[in-house]
Parts: sequence; C-alpha cells; structure tokens
Amino acid sequence: MRFGANDYSATGFYDELIQADGTARPHARELVDYFSDMEASELLDRQRAVDSTIVDMGISFTIYSEGDNIDRAWPLDIIPRAMPGSEWDQVERGLKQRVMALNLFIDDLYNDRRILKDKVVPAELIDSSKNYLEPCKGVSPRHGVWAHICGSDLVRDGDGTIYVLEDNLRVPSGVSYMLENRNVIKRVFPGVFRNHRVRPVSEYPSALSDMLRSIASPEVEGKPEVVVLTPGIYNSAYFEHSYLARTMGVELVEGSDLQVEEDDCVYMRTIDGLTQVDVIYRRIDDTFIDPEAFRPDSTLGIPGIMRAWRAGNVALANAPGSGVADDKVVYSYVPDIIKYYTGEDPVIPNVPTWRCSDRQQLDHVLANIADLVVKPANESGGYGMLVGPHASKAEHDKFRDLLKADPRNYIAQPTLSLSTAPTLCDGSLEPRHLDLRPFILQGNKISVTAGGLTRVAMRRGSLVVNSSQGGGSKDTWIVEDDN
Amino acid sequence: MLSRAAERVYWAGRYLERAENTARIVQQYSQLLLDLPREVDVGWFELVKIFGASVQVSGSNDDDEERAILEFLLSDPNSGNSLNFCIRMARDNVRNLRDLLPQESWESVNELHQYARRKLEATPAAEDRFEVLADCIGRCQQINGIFAGTMSHESPYFFLTLGQCIERADMTSRIIDVAAAYLQQNERLVLRYGSTLWTNVLKSVSGFQMYRQYSQPAVQGTAVIDYLLNDKAFPRAVRASILHARKTCASLPNSDHLVHALDKVNHVLPSPLPDDLDGSMVSETMDTLQIRLADAHAAVVDTWFLPAD
Repeated sequence: MRFGANDYSATGFYDELIQADGTARPHARELVDYFSDMEASELLDRQRAVDSTIVDMGISFTIYSEGDNIDRAWPLDIIPRAMPGSEWDQVERGLKQRVMALNLFIDDLYNDRRILKDKVVPAELIDSSKNYLEPCKGVSPRHGVWAHICGSDLVRDGDGTIYVLEDNLRVPSGVSYMLENRNVIKRVFPGVFRNHRVRPVSEYPSALSDMLRSIASPEVEGKPEVVVLTPGIYNSAYFEHSYLARTMGVELVEGSDLQVEEDDCVYMRTIDGLTQVDVIYRRIDDTFIDPEAFRPDSTLGIPGIMRAWRAGNVALANAPGSGVADDKVVYSYVPDIIKYYTGEDPVIPNVPTWRCSDRQQLDHVLANIADLVVKPANESGGYGMLVGPHASKAEHDKFRDLLKADPRNYIAQPTLSLSTAPTLCDGSLEPRHLDLRPFILQGNKISVTAGGLTRVAMRRGSLVVNSSQGGGSKDTWIVEDDN
Repeated sequence: MLSRAAERVYWAGRYLERAENTARIVQQYSQLLLDLPREVDVGWFELVKIFGASVQVSGSNDDDEERAILEFLLSDPNSGNSLNFCIRMARDNVRNLRDLLPQESWESVNELHQYARRKLEATPAAEDRFEVLADCIGRCQQINGIFAGTMSHESPYFFLTLGQCIERADMTSRIIDVAAAYLQQNERLVLRYGSTLWTNVLKSVSGFQMYRQYSQPAVQGTAVIDYLLNDKAFPRAVRASILHARKTCASLPNSDHLVHALDKVNHVLPSPLPDDLDGSMVSETMDTLQIRLADAHAAVVDTWFLPAD
C-alpha cells in the first residue's frame, strides 16, 4: 500500500497498523489515512517538531560513556502504535491476573512456602536464586503485596498472539516516557486525536500516589509521608525519578537524606528537622538498599532500613525480595503459578521456554542453539543474551560452553517474529520491530496503564529495543472500537 | 525542603559569589599595579593575603611571582581559591539542583563552566586577562539576575541568599584587612598615591560609584573602611550583608541560632570608627569579624543541614 510518500510493506510479519492485504487495520484506519496524506517532507518536518519539543521539554535519558555522563534527548517516532480497546481489555485482565498471582507467590515463598511443599515449583530453584533474600523471610507487607509496581514486557508473534516476554518486578522504568510521549504527540498532532477515542494515560501519577499511600502502615495518622528514593543524578533513569517525584508532589531523596533512628523508624533530614517517612518508592536495587543487611560497600543505601521495614514502620515499594519472581527460570513456571493460586488458566500465554537446568531440555537447546534466543536468568536491559539466528558460529560455541558450565542460570526460547509498525527511518516509513511495556500497580486495588511504553528497534531487522542500545519509542494508543 | 538541597543551594550561592568577587579583585589589582611605582610596597603577594593563603613561588623575579599567584587565583583546578575551582563547584551544586532552580540558571552556569574550561585552563595572558575576567563577572551577574528575577521567594531562594550574604561579608572583610596595610605606608607615598590605592579598594567590590554618590567626596582611608564596614545601603558592605542575611532568617524555620550569631557579627563592627585608627587595630577587628562569620556559617550548618553522623 501507499503510506506517506512510499510503498509500505511489512511482508512476513504481523504489522500493528497494516493488514496482510495492505489495508489499514480497522482500529487504525483514520490514523493511517492521516499519515498517508503527508508528503515525505512533511513527515520529516513533523519529526523535527517532535524532536525539538522533546529538547524543549527536557525529556532525556542518561547514558554512561567513556567516563562521562551524557544526557541524550529521548527518541520518539512520530507514528503512534495503536491497539483496539477490545483486545486491550483482554490483555489488561491477563496482566491483573498475572500480577495478583505473582504477589501471592512471593508472599507464599517468604512465609508458608506452600507452593514448594506441593512441588509445583521446585524448592531448590528458589533456594538457589540470588534474588531470594533471607532477610525478607516472615515479613507480610500490607495487603500481602510485594511487587507494587510491575512492568511486564509484551510481544506479539507472527500469528498475532500476544505473549508476556518477562515480568519486571524490581525497579521497572519507562513510565515517565510513556506519559511524555503522549504529551509530545498531543502537542505536535492535535488534529489526529479528534478522529479517535484514545484512552488517556495521564492519571498514572495520581494512581501511583494513591497506591503508595494505600500501603502505609494503618497506624499512620493523617496523610502518609511518601518519598521517591533515587541513586542520584548519575543514574540512567534519574529523569524518571525526578519526574515521578515532581508529578506526585513528593520529595525526591537520596540515601544520605534518610536515617533510621533508635526507634526503628525512618526519618528524612529537612530544614524543619527530622521528618518521619512512611512510604519509600525506592529506585535502588535490593542489595544496595541497606549496607547493614546486604552489601556493606553500598553508599547508596540507608543503614537499618531493613530493620525498619521488618518492624512495619516503613513501607517499601517494591518490597525487597520481590525480584525472586522475575528470575527467568521462575518465569517458565508462571502459568503453573497462576493456576495454583487462582485456579484459572493464564489469559496471556508465556513464550514457550526451555529450562537448561533440565538435562533433556538442555540437550535440546545445545542442539538447536542457532534457532533460539538464550537468556541469563537475572540480567535486564538485553545484556548477556544470545539471539541465535543473528549470532556467529563462534558465539554459538561460546554460549554452549556457558550453558554447560552453569545450566541453572539460563533459559532458551524460540526466536519470535516480533510484530512491526510503520516507523519513520531516514525520511520514509519502514516496518520496525517493537514490544510493549504496560505498568501494573497493586496496593489496596490493582490498575493497569492504558497501553504502556512501546519500544522500537530502530535498525532494520533488529530485535533490540533498549534505549541504551539505540532503541526508540512510540506513543501507544488504545483506541475504543465498540466491539 | 531537604537538608541536602538546602546545603547545595547555600554552597551554590557562596561559590558563585566567591567566583565573581575573585574575578573582580584580580581585575582591579591588575589595573592598580600598572599605576604604582616600584617603591610602593604593594605587590601580587598582597592578593594572596586576601585569601589567607600562601603560594610557593619558584624563581625570584616579579614575573615568576605574578605567574604563580595568578595561577593560584585563576586557573589552578585544585586550589580552593581559584576562580576555576569556584565555577566548577558552583556548577556541580546547581547541576544537582535542577529540579529546584530555574532551568535558565542551570544553562547559564553550565555555559560559564564551559567558558572557564576553555579560558582558564591556563592562566590568561596579560592582554586577555581583562576581557576574560570581565566575561566571568558578567556571567555571574547574569546568573544572579536569573535567580533574582525568576525564583519564588521560598526556602531555596533564602538559602541561596544566606550563602551570598555570608560570602560577601567575609570577602569584604578580607579586602579591608589587606587594605589596612596601606594605612602604614610612609606619608609621602600615601599623599601621592593614597587616593589611587583606596579607589582600587572600592572598585574591587564595585563600590566606587556608590561611595562617591552617597558618601564623602574624598577617597580617603578611614572613610573607605568605614563605608565598607558600616554602610547599610551598599549591598557589599559588611553591615548591609549581615542585615540582609538577618532579614532572610525571618522566613526560615528555627533561625534563632543564626540570628544570634549574626548579631554577634554586627557587634564586632566598630561604629563610629576611632579617630586614631591604625592598621593593626583594623587587622585585629577583621580577624575577630572572620571568626564570627565562621560561627554564623556553623550556625547555618547546625540548624538546617543536619549532617549525617
């Protein structure tokens, strides 16, 4: 079909906006028409307008390179990615089901360990996980919720099925970019919104704030004091930490701003003196949070904060130890976990996963490594993984050795043919692969963002969407379709 | 407001003020030395005394001395007194405060820092010195203008102001301390060059014009010292700085400790000045003044910054 000044074809892949016959998908018809009317020069003008709006609004991310920190302007493609509301309702139901089950699972692991006793999940898998934290045993956070903020990565395969690729239960990031992407697109393309009913995303900061207040100890009188804890300005997600603190109207603190007193309560140092803190939205990794309990060399953390948390004097979001459930080997058990705690079948399927800890499955992976994606159990950001079809023979051999040496630490999955969407590349619209990270909040109730952050691999054929590795992003539209 | 943020704003205020004052003092001194004959005992070392420091000079002629001292005051990246260092510290503090301070102030401080990195990497040659220093002063003034014109008068602004006032009072007292030595110069030289010297003192705090407009027409030692110590209207006079800091306290919580410390600074200021004022008397008073100012600084730290133990 003709899209913009070019023939657009997404042969062989599921495209989010364009059907196999070259026509627009029904929910994206007006969107595609709107952009099809534009000349190449106008598309470029609009992209420049988007880029300069991003610079003006100061939307940036930080990368660490050659010993210096560089603030880069956030990359946003002008063409939104759209999904029908009826389809999204299903996804939303699936995400809620999944996160509720994962929280029941984490709470069980640190308390009764029923699921291990019932041998649904092998106990040695949990006990050997470096994300299973001893100091968390016996703790029951309010509402039984550990992972209050979850960012689950969704992908769509060639046949249109949506899978959960991974759950991020520790310190998922990206939500501020989801919010700012919408703000920028609204500024640059006010007209296109008139023809669609796009579900708003702007209530996220209030939902986050409500959720955080809901997990404060019931003994707190009046409005709980909530803070966002950041490792500091050199962290790659500092923009987001500062953005969330600002939009919630709470203090953005560093470890050195907080202290735990004799009463096992957490206080922040302010010009009015010590002020008690009730809820900490921490954006510091588990093992850095308390040098007394974990890494003694951590200068980011607050000595004694684990004591305060165990005593119930401060709520931490996410609770330490939540990461035990986003181990990629544990991931392979999530369908069983959902069934175990809810009695239901998963609404959103997992990507089929081979566990290398199993001898037979390992043999299968070793034999078919050239067709598979191999991932370490505990890395994020796309690091340390092998994309078989895109790797050299030498890399295949290297990974075979790694797998044999430490099978517990690896899983393998088939190479999905990720869906694409039209993306402006060098002045013309071309298909690029993408994923989607919605954000799920659970406190006294559970909510999901309408859509999420769509990340795009900007290089032709590439599947790597991480912004630290040259990925871009798109505004994500959930369009009402009255189905 | 977080204590850490208050501390950073305060230091941003101090370092910016110190940078501007250092640039101005060096600029004025360079001009002054061109006006004085060799027999007047005023040299580059006087400048170092202002900063209460000493500099190791390799070589014995005046050029070696000038080079070493200007490096110490302008370009040395590790000397806590150099213009280069002050600008870097101001920038580091503002960088950490991007959520609290106006966006333009961050951009301007960053530009000043880039400028200093280029122009103060080595000590600027005599021909370029005036321009580089004038640029630094102008950029500092621009940043202060952004603060004054766009910041709400809330806690961050008050801590910035406290930093500026205390730094200003301290710097002016040091200038007076060194200038007091001129009172000791032999009478013939004072008669011949006194006005030049004291004009320079006033100009190092941008005070010459205001002095002329609102004070005595004659530029003479005791009167200049009195003006720089006791004037309530000139913003860089010690008394005016302390009054401004004291007024700022009214808007901050738990400020009794600092108000008390500032009153003690004021008590040191001799008013009126005795008729038989001599250099050692001034020197002694300035020493006490600086100790009291250090106490005021300590009061700020103890009251609001709550250092971790």
